[in-house]
Amino acid sequence: MIDSQQASAALNDINDIVHRLRQSQIYQTASLIIIMWGVLVFLGYIANYTWPPQGYAIWAVVDLVGIAGSIAIATFSGTGPGAGAFAIRLLMAFLLFIAFGIFCSVVLGHFGPRQMLVFWPVFTMLFYALAGLWFGYAFIVIALGSSALIVTAYFYAGPALLLWMALVHGGALVLGGLWMRRI
Amino acid sequence: MADLDEIIHQPLRLRIMAALNALPVSTGLEFARLKKLTGATDGNLGAHIETLARAGYVAVDKAFVGKKPQTTVTATAAGRGAFARHVATLQEIIAGKQP
Repeated sequence: MIDSQQASAALNDINDIVHRLRQSQIYQTASLIIIMWGVLVFLGYIANYTWPPQGYAIWAVVDLVGIAGSIAIATFSGTGPGAGAFAIRLLMAFLLFIAFGIFCSVVLGHFGPRQMLVFWPVFTMLFYALAGLWFGYAFIVIALGSSALIVTAYFYAGPALLLWMALVHGGALVLGGLWMRRI
Repeated sequence: MADLDEIIHQPLRLRIMAALNALPVSTGLEFARLKKLTGATDGNLGAHIETLARAGYVAVDKAFVGKKPQTTVTATAAGRGAFARHVATLQEIIAGKQP
């Protein structure tokens, strides 16, 4: 028979492994969503570079496809009780962020195309960083890494900003998602 | 008063059962993910899974995904029951209801 200290250690061990399992499940789902967004924004920047006048339409399509894809991935890969409700809460939080972003960039800020191009990725990365405070450091690393590359692009990429953004924003998301699947 | 389950009580087997028990019924974990979660080596993990399988606590399913072999481990109903009893016994010990 074991004493209460050993029993307590065993229960802590159980709690620890369950916590790690939950985090691993979140990483598995989130990494798919992040990779999908990486591919979508990469294509979005290339399309925007190729057809500049269609910029708003291109990004509207990218956003709609991305949101629909995120919901589909979260729904089909959700495991465990409450996964569906959790995905809906996460989506609602994301939509509130987007609404606030529109308020800042269009109503208050009147940003130009170049500022808009950098504001939205950095703003959505803030969402990732905040999510990381609850769901694991990988989100924070991806958010800070991507934001640093995007801000560098804003100051130094010049007229090649869209191509640079395709590489640093889309590429950082894809690489970040692949890395998340390995940890 | 219940006794501790000697098969589950071993630390690595306890971690394996804790992870499998946290999944929905009939859902399993691939060997590679279980290895990452528990931090065990291939040989050690394989040996302990075999012990659990012999006791009827887990089911082991081996299949090919493409050309790669994939082993999936799932907690059985007996395994879930034994794990729940084991946890209840641990809680009784902490509460001082067991010597």
